[in-house]
Amino acid sequence: MRLLRHIFWLAIAVAAAVCLGGVALYRGEHINSIWLVLAAACTYATAYRFYGKWLATRVAVLDDRRATPAERLRNGHDYEPTNKWILFGHHFAAIAGPGPLVGPVLAAQFGYLPGTLWIVIGAVLGGAVQDFILLFASMRRDGKSLGQMAREEIGKLGGFAALVTVLLIMVIMLAVMALVVVNALRGSPWGTFTIAATMPIALFMGLYLRYWRPGKVLECSLIGFLLVATAIFAGRTVAESATLAPWFTLSGMTLALAIVVYGFFASALPVWLLLAPRDYLSTFVKLGVVTMLAAGVLFVRPELQLPAFTRFTDGTGPIFAGKIFPFCFITIACGAVSGFHSLIASGTTPKMIAKESHARPVGYGAMLLESFVALMAMIAASSMSPGVYFAVNSPAGVVGTAPAAAVATISGWGFPVSVADMTTLARDVGERSLFSRTGGAPSLALGMAHIFARTGGGRALLGFWYHFAIMFEALFILTIIDAGTRVGRFLLQDLLGQVSKPLGRTSWMPGVILSSGLIVSAWGYFLVQGVRDPLGGINSLWPLFGIANQLLAAIALCLATTILLKTHGLKYVWITCLPLVWLVTVTFTAGGQKLFSRAPAIGFWAQAGKLSAALRAGPVADAASTRTLIFNARLDAVLCGALLSLVAAILLDSLRAWTGILRHTRKTALSEAPFVASQLRAGEL
Amino acid sequence: MKDWRRFCKLVVGLLRELADENAYVRYLKAHGREPSGEEWRRFSDERLRRKYTRAKCC
Repeated sequence: MRLLRHIFWLAIAVAAAVCLGGVALYRGEHINSIWLVLAAACTYATAYRFYGKWLATRVAVLDDRRATPAERLRNGHDYEPTNKWILFGHHFAAIAGPGPLVGPVLAAQFGYLPGTLWIVIGAVLGGAVQDFILLFASMRRDGKSLGQMAREEIGKLGGFAALVTVLLIMVIMLAVMALVVVNALRGSPWGTFTIAATMPIALFMGLYLRYWRPGKVLECSLIGFLLVATAIFAGRTVAESATLAPWFTLSGMTLALAIVVYGFFASALPVWLLLAPRDYLSTFVKLGVVTMLAAGVLFVRPELQLPAFTRFTDGTGPIFAGKIFPFCFITIACGAVSGFHSLIASGTTPKMIAKESHARPVGYGAMLLESFVALMAMIAASSMSPGVYFAVNSPAGVVGTAPAAAVATISGWGFPVSVADMTTLARDVGERSLFSRTGGAPSLALGMAHIFARTGGGRALLGFWYHFAIMFEALFILTIIDAGTRVGRFLLQDLLGQVSKPLGRTSWMPGVILSSGLIVSAWGYFLVQGVRDPLGGINSLWPLFGIANQLLAAIALCLATTILLKTHGLKYVWITCLPLVWLVTVTFTAGGQKLFSRAPAIGFWAQAGKLSAALRAGPVADAASTRTLIFNARLDAVLCGALLSLVAAILLDSLRAWTGILRHTRKTALSEAPFVASQLRAGEL
Repeated sequence: MKDWRRFCKLVVGLLRELADENAYVRYLKAHGREPSGEEWRRFSDERLRRKYTRAKCC
């Protein structure tokens, strides 16, 4: 039996190596997506079985005899021992946001191969390791947060820098996510109507849950889902109506302002009325759609139309400028390594783990599943015709506003596409135009719609599936905006409370309004900046977001390294040091290029310099807009520099701490909670 | 058949956990109370207050 098991795992490991090698080396006409799926699945299985298990037994030394915080501090609220598979789903639902869907779609401009390899290898050796170690560390410290642990294990500077970095990342994240929604809904009456309809539906759900059927969340979410599906069907009628369509055909700027106003109200209104019901609905829709996408890819097994590498690996890409190194690894953060996960792994999840051994499936396993979702997004994008992919994702500032000019430019890159192709596709999905619909969401929706349509409904339902996918993306991005603005408001009120006590009170309405207004203005400014940017905004904002997210991962890995150093000395530090060194190299290279590159398409200062020179040289078409663009480029540079400085400070602080630990000049005791024997039996869960 | 039933039970358990319905049952049990609109509102307010002080992942 044991021999058979060895043979089985050997076969899986060999299959992983063969499939990955095959995918990496194959240069034929087209490759079927099933090879990518097989390569990833076998790699994940091997990594989980061997590397994950080794981390759990030898490095973390998980001990089921030790009571977890969920058992020791059980209070029925935060601390509650939970079945491991339920917690797995709970944790996965918390970590899987729009990032793993949008990032791979954008990174596909380099071809399907670089992003795919990074998604698979990055997750196995970096992302899952970070999530697992952080979850383990927090579990051993009564469920403490990243900031608290950084303060205790590294030093006060680490804790403070983590807090400020989180606030800055949230501002950028909210802006870039809102920009994705704006670009998806711009000039689309069908999509705009559907998303607008989710607001009264959410209000209805809020009242339903609060007063009519209290506590019936699943029932209420099912009704909400049926109403949203009806809204998607009704959206086609609205888009075809000469009277109604103009009401829902909005410009980018109008949509941006609408989202800013919405964000303000969502932050200031009672949470049960709008935010909570939408959050329930979006969680269920998210899990359902991700399952559908995986099933669809396995059923349809689409051929990848994009090449393994495109010509844009040299840094001249239309979607965002910059070479494959470092920008591919910045563009895909969630799905490979995401710093934001460390906040979840040190948030709710450690307080719900029943047995220490559950940290492996929950921490390591859920990250592998998220990586698989990112791979699905990469397949959905790569299975589109390359010409269509670039026509949808290239900003008008690069390919021109006229369809004929755009197709000529894109065909000139070696990706043939015609105006007729794009017109037919737009008609099929119920859009007026699909040119320059930047941000990743529309092209992902197109890819998903094609996969869903091939599993059921055919071309007749392409429009429905496209708008279903847009609704799905917008719904949970807006939920992140609601919740993020609210969390940002609380963080800010914490800070303002140091200056004036009433401003810190979350129940004092003037304080709530002021802090909500400040947070909304901060991300709203970057959103408007993205909308005004002639290159579509994604070019500048997505790399900033990627850099910020990976820098947070660097903070988490610094903490993980410190803990490993205190526990085992130098023996196992390579586990977290390797991904840390890689992330620091990638983010500091990308950050350095965004700051100092002489190419205006990449460097913020170079961009500001080029525009300033144009202003000085003579009259420009719109001097006021040009001045705003110059200011924005300088602001982005300052923000990027601030993020890099914060993380450099944490790195130096960590290095100081590590040297102290190795020289025995610093205390090496861990801040773990003392051992208490577990009384929990498996049957109780 | 048994495995299938166990799987369905797990899925329903997950959905109820995500919907906070399990947490509500635990809350009622812990406080020895009966379900009612007032209890749900009390539980929900506390639950949501804690939930939305934490960042959501991207």
